[in-house]
Amino acid sequence: MLKKMLVGIVLGSFLLLPLLAGAQEKYPTKPIELVVPFAAGGSTDVLARLVAKYAPKYFDKPLVVVNKPGGGGITGTEGVVRSKPDGYSLFVGYGSGHDLVTPHFQKMPYDTFNDLVSVCRLSIHSIVMIIRGDAPYKTLKELVEWGKKRPQVTASVSTKAGSVDITFQAVGKATGLKMVTVPFRGGAESVTAIVGGQTDCGGNHPSEVISHIKAKRLIPIAVALENRDPAIPDVPTFKELGYNVTAVGSVKGVAAPKGTSPEVVRYLAERFKKVCDDPEFIKSMKDIGQPVMYQGPQEFAKFMKEGFAQYGQMIKEFNIKLE
Amino acid sequence: MGKVSRPGPGFLPFGLALILSALSIALIAKSWKREEQSVPFWPERGWVRPLLGVGIFLLYAVLLPLLGFILTTFFFLICWMWVIERIRWATILPISIGVTAVLYLIFSYFLEVPLPAGFLS
Amino acid sequence: MGEIWGMFQGLAGGFDIAFTLTNLTFALIGAVLGTMVGILPGLGPSATISLLLPLSFKIGSPVTSIIMMAGIFYGAMYGGSTTSILVNIPGEAASVVTCIDGYQMAKKGRAGPALGMAAIGSFIAGTIGVLGLTFVAPPLAEFALKFGPPEYFSLTLFGLLMATLLGEGSILKGLIMVVMGLLLGSVGLDPISGAIRFTWGIHMLQEGIDFVTLAMGMFGVGEIFYNLEKVLKTELVTRKITHLWPTLKDWADSKWAVIRGSFIGFFIGILPGGGAVISSLVSYAVEKRVSKTPEEFGKGAIQGVAGPESANNAAASASFIPLLTLGIPGNAAIAMIFAALLIQGVQPGPFLITEKPEIFWGVVASMYIGNVMLLILNLPMVGLWVQLLRVPYSILAPIVVLFCCVGVYSIRNTVFDIYVMGIFGVIGYLLRKVNLEPGPMILAFVLGPILERAIRQALLISAGSPLIFFTRPISGALMGMLILFIALQIFFSIRNKKGNQ
Repeated sequence: MLKKMLVGIVLGSFLLLPLLAGAQEKYPTKPIELVVPFAAGGSTDVLARLVAKYAPKYFDKPLVVVNKPGGGGITGTEGVVRSKPDGYSLFVGYGSGHDLVTPHFQKMPYDTFNDLVSVCRLSIHSIVMIIRGDAPYKTLKELVEWGKKRPQVTASVSTKAGSVDITFQAVGKATGLKMVTVPFRGGAESVTAIVGGQTDCGGNHPSEVISHIKAKRLIPIAVALENRDPAIPDVPTFKELGYNVTAVGSVKGVAAPKGTSPEVVRYLAERFKKVCDDPEFIKSMKDIGQPVMYQGPQEFAKFMKEGFAQYGQMIKEFNIKLE
Repeated sequence: MGKVSRPGPGFLPFGLALILSALSIALIAKSWKREEQSVPFWPERGWVRPLLGVGIFLLYAVLLPLLGFILTTFFFLICWMWVIERIRWATILPISIGVTAVLYLIFSYFLEVPLPAGFLS
Repeated sequence: MGEIWGMFQGLAGGFDIAFTLTNLTFALIGAVLGTMVGILPGLGPSATISLLLPLSFKIGSPVTSIIMMAGIFYGAMYGGSTTSILVNIPGEAASVVTCIDGYQMAKKGRAGPALGMAAIGSFIAGTIGVLGLTFVAPPLAEFALKFGPPEYFSLTLFGLLMATLLGEGSILKGLIMVVMGLLLGSVGLDPISGAIRFTWGIHMLQEGIDFVTLAMGMFGVGEIFYNLEKVLKTELVTRKITHLWPTLKDWADSKWAVIRGSFIGFFIGILPGGGAVISSLVSYAVEKRVSKTPEEFGKGAIQGVAGPESANNAAASASFIPLLTLGIPGNAAIAMIFAALLIQGVQPGPFLITEKPEIFWGVVASMYIGNVMLLILNLPMVGLWVQLLRVPYSILAPIVVLFCCVGVYSIRNTVFDIYVMGIFGVIGYLLRKVNLEPGPMILAFVLGPILERAIRQALLISAGSPLIFFTRPISGALMGMLILFIALQIFFSIRNKKGNQ
C-alpha cells in the first residue's frame, strides 16, 4: 500500500514538472497600484489607504495608492482603462458619480461597463441629507414645510452633476421645493459650507460628516438608499419618509482594465474579501463612518448595471436636466 | 453665456476679453501721446541669442522622448554652452557630465521620478 | 484666568511629548525634507506627504506622523523663498510676491540679507503663528466658518486689487496683466457648470494650466531668455556681493514689516483656499503704502521681502487651525495630513483637543521646535546659496533651465508640460521687453478661479441678487474697505497730478 503511494507521488511529481516549466511567475510579482481618481484626503482616498494599510496581511505584495484627480474622476479612471491589463493597475472607486451618473448626460471617453472588469465592491458611500444643528427645522418634514414658504432652498453638494447633485435635484422635485444645488470643490469644501451655514442643507457621504454629527453640529435627516445605511442606522430613508428618491449612492468598488485575466481577478477578489473580513479593518471603517459592504465580481457587475439603471430611472422620473 | 444674475461658463471670458480690449486701447493711447524717442526693440541683433536659446530648448523637448533623459540633457548642456556662450570645451565637458549626473541622481534616484529613457528602455 | 492656565498646562504637556528623541528626530526629518522640497521645482509638499503616508503607518504613533508631516509643510515654506530670491522662481503661489523685491536684491548683491531676513522673518512669524494657535484657535476657527462664497469673493477681489499695485509699473499695466491672468486661469474644466473652456480639444489642458508650469515658465525660463540678450560673461550679480547678513539698518527697516506681516498672514491664512497667497499680497501692499520710501518697492526693498515672507509663514501655521479645531482641511497638504490622521484612527474635529489633547498639544509644541530647527538649518545655508550666485551666469543659466524642465516634467510625466513651460517662457520674455510685470498676472491666475467660483456660488445662494455682497456683514465690510481703497487711490493720484502741474 505504501509502495503504491510512493510510486504515485514520484510519478505525480514528474507530471508536475512540465506544468511548472510552462507556468508563469505567480501573480503578483511586484506592488499593485491602486488608482484613486480623486484628490487625496477624500472619502475614496481614505478607503483605499485603509485597505492598503491592512493589505500586507493578505496580499503577497504591497498595495500602493496613487491619486490621479481630475475631470470629476474621469481622468484617473481613463488612465486605468488604457493601462496594461496585467493586474498591476487597479481603479478604486468604481461606481462613483462619474460611473453611474455622468454617462446619462455626457459622452464618455471610454465605456464604463465594457472597458472595465468588476473585481469587487468594498463599500457604499450613501448620500445623506444634513442640516445644521441650530437650524429652525429638525426633520425632513419640517424642512419641507419651511422650504415651501421660501423662494428657494439651497443645498451644498460636492460636484456639479455628481451623484449628490442629481439626487438632491430629485429630492427637490419629489418634495415640491425649489431646490437649488450649489456645487463646491469636493466633499470637504461642501461640508465646510453647510457647517458654516452658507446653505440651508447639504448632501454628503456619512464618512465626510460623521465627526460633525457626533459633535451635534450637523444632523442627518434622511438617506437616499433602498435600506438604511449601516454606518448611520438611525437615519430614515427618503422612501420611509414618503419620497421615492432611492439610489445606490456612490459605490466604491475595485475595477481592472478589460482583458485582465480571470485568475488575477479571482486572486484580487479573494484577497480583498479577506481584508473586508478582518475585524480590525471593519472597526477602523466603522470609526470613520464607512460601511464594509463586500460583493464578489459577478454580483458586483450585476449590481453596477442595476445601479446605473436606477439612476437613469430617477433622472427620467424627476426630469432632471443638466443646465 | 448665461444671464448676469446667473453667469454661465462663457460669461467671464467674454467679459474679460472686453475689459482687456478697453485697457489695451487705453495703454496704446497713453503711449501715443507721449513724445518718446523711438527705442529699437532689439538693439544690435539682440534677438539672436534668445532665439538660439528658445531653439535649443525646443530641441530638448523634442528629443527627450526619443533619446532619453541622460543623453538629451547632456547634449542640451553642451549645445547651450558652446553655441550660445562660446565657452571652452575644457569647461563644457566636465560641467555637462557633472550636472547631468547630479540631476539624474536627485530626480531619478532620490525622488524616484520616472524619467524618459528613450530608445534605451 | 483658569482657561489660560489650562492652555499653559496643555502646552507644557505638549512640550513633554515633543521633546522625546523620536519626535525630535522626525521633526528634523520633516523640516529637512520640506526645505528640500521647497527648493526643488515641481514637487510640492502635498505630493511629498502623500508619498510618505505609508511610512506613517510603520511609525505607528499619530503624533509622530503629524509632527513629521507638519515639518515638511512649513519647511517647504522656508525653502520656497530661497529659489524666489536667488533665481526668481516661485516655489508656490505664496512665494510669488517674494520674487519681486527678493530677486532685485539678489541682483544688487544683497542676496544674503534677503535670504537672512526671509528666514528670520519666517521664524518670528511662525512663532507668532504658533502662539496664535495656542491661544485663539477655537474662536478664530468659528469666525473662519462664517466665510462663505460672498466673503471669499470680496476678499479675493481685494487681493486682486492689491496685485495690480505690485512691482513698479503703472496701475494700468498692472490691470492689463491681472486681466490676462484671469483669462489664463479660466482655461480648463469649469467646476460649476462642467463646461470645458479654451482647451481647443487638447486633452492635457483639461485640468487647466498648472501653476508651477506657468510660474517656472514666465519667471524662471522667461528671465533667462531675457538675459540672453545681453552677453553676460560675468556673474548674475552686477555689484559686488556685500554683507552676508542683514545689517542693523535692515533690521530696523524690517521689524515692523515682520510683525505686520505675521498678523496679516495669521488672520487671513486661516481661511481655506487662497489664504496664504492673499495674505502675502496684502502684506506687500500694506508695506508699500506705509513705507517712507515706496519708490524703492520693486527695486529691492527689504520690507518687500520681510513682510510677505512673514505673512506666508504665519499663514502656514494658521492653516492648521481649521484642521485641528474643526476637522476641516484648508489646502492639499493639510488634506493629506487629515487623511493620515483618519487612517490612524484619529478624528480631527471639535473633539480632538479634549479627547486626544496629546495630539493637539504635541503638534503645536513641535511646531515651535520645528521653527527653531528651520532657522538653525537655513541661516548657515545662506552662505552656501550666495556662493551659487558666484557661478558665471553663462553656466548657471542652462542649469536653471534644466532644473525647470525636469521639475515640470515630474509633475505629470509628460513632455507636453515642458512645451507649455517653453511657451510661457517666451511670453514672459516678451512681456519683460515691453515692461509688463508677470507678477500680477500669475497672481490673478491663482486668484481668478477662486473669484469666479465664489461669485457664481454666491449668486446661486442669493437667487441672483448681487446685494448679498453688501448685506452680509463681513462681506459688506470688505467691500466697504475695497471701495474706500479705490477712492483713496484715485484721490491721491489726482492730487499728485495737480501737484506736478
